[in-house]
Amino acid sequence: MEVLHYLGAAIGLGLIVIGAGLGIGRLAAAAADGIARQPEATDQITGAVNLPLFLLEGVAILAEVFVLLIVLMK
Amino acid sequence: MLVSTGEQNSGGAMEQVGDNIIHHVSNSDIHHPIFSLPHLFNIDMSVTKHVLMLWIVALTVGFVVILPIQRYVQQRRLIPTGLMNALEIVVSFVRDTIVKPNVGLKWVNSWAPLILTFLFFIFFANAIGMIPIFDVLGLVNRFVFHVPANDSHNFINGLLHGGPTATGNFNVTAALAIITFLSIIIAGTKAHGFIQHWKNLVPHGLPGFVYIILIPIEIIGMFVKPFALTMRLAANMTGGHIALLAILSFMAIFADMFQSVFAGLGVALISVPLAVAISGLEIIVIIVQAYVFTLLSAVFIGMAIKVHH
Repeated sequence: MEVLHYLGAAIGLGLIVIGAGLGIGRLAAAAADGIARQPEATDQITGAVNLPLFLLEGVAILAEVFVLLIVLMK
Repeated sequence: MLVSTGEQNSGGAMEQVGDNIIHHVSNSDIHHPIFSLPHLFNIDMSVTKHVLMLWIVALTVGFVVILPIQRYVQQRRLIPTGLMNALEIVVSFVRDTIVKPNVGLKWVNSWAPLILTFLFFIFFANAIGMIPIFDVLGLVNRFVFHVPANDSHNFINGLLHGGPTATGNFNVTAALAIITFLSIIIAGTKAHGFIQHWKNLVPHGLPGFVYIILIPIEIIGMFVKPFALTMRLAANMTGGHIALLAILSFMAIFADMFQSVFAGLGVALISVPLAVAISGLEIIVIIVQAYVFTLLSAVFIGMAIKVHH
């Protein structure tokens, strides 16, 4: 059962990376798209992208901390 | 890493490596403090590694930020020289792009000092954590002065326990986030009055049953904001150091697995450049996390001031 424990944590970590990667990827793609269409709005677009990016990163980090806790507190 | 492994020779390489990594990112043991202090209100006030690092960070901020600004303010002609040029760029950047758009013109001067203090303190605490000064001191202590690693009365050996990143400790970031939590309430109270601030948490003019769902959500959200700030900063700082140490530990693990020094050396060809790359990434993370904490604090304070219905 020890192995299953680590397996669960590893699968969870993979899911976190998939989710965070998809989220950041979509955000970056949309920002690049917007900047390519309207280069003069670069500053506003960067400002608008920053906040959701950091909130998303915070959720991913929280999930990683919980995975770490699963491994440490078996 | 070799410096502090002296006392733990039992167990396989994997357990040793795991213990070593945790040992290098967590605080030092309260029962073996760096300086012993008496108990105050039943709390052990002894100084551990992270408390010492907080003092070093405070001193650094004092010398690098506060002293030049004091000297600059006392000058007769207000033309910045030397370090003051760099400080002025940072201060005006924070005021104009972080605080002003979020908090609004009226409250810029009340909240910019707090946000700037967060930025400088977190930046220096993160950055000092990346400088391996204690490991160098330990190497000098071990191989120049020939102090054995298990000599617990030696001062420098005591300094080697625990990680040097004070912001990697959840208690430190929790204290910073509590300051943000209180400033959100103070900002709302100063802008709208005490009762109106709590009323502003939920938009008014909604049908009654919506409030039954909305009020608990808003109260939870009030506590989730500082909790997320705490976790984000501490986990980012801890995570980077763990990744760095784990990649360097591959050398020890592979050398132990194949019982050969050359296996370790071969892995070193990959893991040392990778560690250098991750150190570069960490330098970006240091700056970005200081920026993120200050930006989010400014956004949350601004949300209490600019209430949109």
